[in-house]
Amino acid sequence: MIILNSIRWRVQLWYGLILLLVIVAFSVSAYHLEKGRRFKVVDEELHQRLGALMASLRERHPFGGPPGRPDSGRDHGPGMETEEQNRKDPRVRPGEQPPPEGEFPGEPLPGGLGRPPHQATEFNLNPRIVQLFDAADTNGFYYQVWSREGSLMAGSSNAPAGAIRPEIHGTGNLSRRNGYMAEVYDATPFGDCMLVGHSLRRDLKELHQFALSLAGVGGTVLMLGLVGGWWLASRAIQPIESITATAVKIAAGDLSQRIDVEDTESELGRLTTVLNSTFARLDAAFAQQGRFTADAAHELRTPVSVIILQAQTALKSERTGPEYRKTIEACQRAAQRMKSLLESLLELARFDAGEETLNRMEFDLASVTAECMDLIEPLAQEKKVTLIRQFLSVKMTGDSGRIAQVITNLLNNAIHYNHENGFVRVSVYEENRSACVTINDTGPGISAEHLPRIFERFYRADSSRTHAGEHAGLGLSICRAIVSAHGGEITVSSEPGVGTTFKVRLPKS
Amino acid sequence: MRILVVEDEPDLLSSLAQALREEGYAVDTAPDGEEGLYKAENWTYDAIVLDVMMPKVDGWTVLKKIRSKHKTPVLMLTAKDHSKDRVRGLDTGADDYVVKPFDLNELLARLRALIRRTSNQTSSTIELGDVVIDTAARTVHKKGEEMILTGREYALVEYLALHCGEVISRTTLYEHLFDENDSSLSNLLEVHVSNIRKKVGQEFIVTRRGHGYCIEKP
Repeated sequence: MIILNSIRWRVQLWYGLILLLVIVAFSVSAYHLEKGRRFKVVDEELHQRLGALMASLRERHPFGGPPGRPDSGRDHGPGMETEEQNRKDPRVRPGEQPPPEGEFPGEPLPGGLGRPPHQATEFNLNPRIVQLFDAADTNGFYYQVWSREGSLMAGSSNAPAGAIRPEIHGTGNLSRRNGYMAEVYDATPFGDCMLVGHSLRRDLKELHQFALSLAGVGGTVLMLGLVGGWWLASRAIQPIESITATAVKIAAGDLSQRIDVEDTESELGRLTTVLNSTFARLDAAFAQQGRFTADAAHELRTPVSVIILQAQTALKSERTGPEYRKTIEACQRAAQRMKSLLESLLELARFDAGEETLNRMEFDLASVTAECMDLIEPLAQEKKVTLIRQFLSVKMTGDSGRIAQVITNLLNNAIHYNHENGFVRVSVYEENRSACVTINDTGPGISAEHLPRIFERFYRADSSRTHAGEHAGLGLSICRAIVSAHGGEITVSSEPGVGTTFKVRLPKS
Repeated sequence: MRILVVEDEPDLLSSLAQALREEGYAVDTAPDGEEGLYKAENWTYDAIVLDVMMPKVDGWTVLKKIRSKHKTPVLMLTAKDHSKDRVRGLDTGADDYVVKPFDLNELLARLRALIRRTSNQTSSTIELGDVVIDTAARTVHKKGEEMILTGREYALVEYLALHCGEVISRTTLYEHLFDENDSSLSNLLEVHVSNIRKKVGQEFIVTRRGHGYCIEKP
């Protein structure tokens, strides 16, 4: 599913699910707490009323005893004490008020109490108590009394018809559910069963309404939560979207694009900063790559032009032998130039790829430098430049051929970029356990603007081919690659009008 | 037609100059910007072929300095083919832009077009009554018949035809038909004119004594 691939949708789904669970758990708990509370209230009320009924039995004999005084100076209303006394010991208390002989005929109860054979009509409760069960104003409370035998002896008018006498076993939880009715019951001192009930219909209806409103509120909260969550997710995702949009542009080739950073300290801000610096490096690398390719192509264009133009001119009409020879010579020069350019490029590429292996051996840097200078001496004489040697013997390990290449290249530059009767001072010495060569010329120097870039490939301070065909601005790049491969470094300092000094520092081993 | 070629690559310069000379142009050469600028400022050329990357003074600087004084058409010759370089070249005042390596025939065609444009010609053929001059093929036809002219004769006809109706002084003709290496005798021009008249017709080139020569508009 595509939707599940979107972080926003996944976050939204998880968030919605969790929110739903929380709301459902909350609603169910609230419903059950409310239900328990309501039922407990009903239960307490029922027990109170049952207690009151039981207590009334002690005050006024139900089987035709003397009617209790309406006002005995005591509160006859349902009371905890009465109820508790009654519940604790319902069968002892009646002894305090034994039924009159004449009124309680018949065999004794199994528990030692007796009572006359009952007649339903004879069982009369204190009317004041019965009043509590008036259907009109007692909120659906009712009572029922069954004889030991199971026949209904008395009951309020609102009691459900056809109720069965509950079985009484011990003194445990004497309560039951009869359809919608909650009922509590107990045995009277006479062995009868007295029951007080109450319809739960209204409570259940209210609970139902409560559940509905909980569902309504829960649903609303869920919707609001989802909308809020979507908004939050959007806000949280928005920087990612902008990162993506920028990344898409970059992927499409526009490397100059950067992501706007609003807060550099936030998680996304830090990510963005890292990405931006990565993009910048990528941009620089690509720009360098592009420049390198363009420069390489540019360097190849001129010799190719020469070959094409020479050939086309030669072929325009009949030529003499010497003319053809001239053409072929020019083509050969151009081809040589292309060859040396390609060799330099390949050499650099091998260094870049780490494929160029150094033929390491121990040698004396001073003697290698001396050989290079001997070889270049004729050129120096031709250019009327004096070479000065200041050598100290320094033994080091490295590729002597490569090091000689570096020194020759630097010497070549020092002679070419020099004035007539100038000097090139070459020193070899040891410094901080490194072998060093410095090549100092008395040339025009390099301006501060160009100095930091002279090791760049194809970079030429004078932006033209002063020494056409000899090097294409790759010489110093190759020097640096060779020195770096040895673990050394090459540095340059220059003072315009005075001269330039290149310093090569190589580790001794 | 006299053309200045400024190019620092000697092999390129020599073959370009040779090719242009064989096309009948008078060609001056300069191996760097400094000399190129000097020549461009001191002689009148019909076109200048200018390399961009040169020692001493680069092509852009030369172009800018030429443009401040002359309207000579300039064709830039460069190894840079970025569109921004082309734009820069054309904006600086170059009339055309050719990227190395180039095709010789294309370069020659572009030069012809440049020269034609400065003479307000739109087509490569010039019709003067019954004489038709094809500047691309470098031929002259009279009544459908091809007149065989030498390179220099053709150059003279072409120059006068491109400026037909104008009286061209002998000095101007010398300037445009002979390059710096020519040490021609001063009456060489008369010899050429006389030869052309023999081949194409006596009335083709009119002499304005004391002023110069002219091909009149038909």
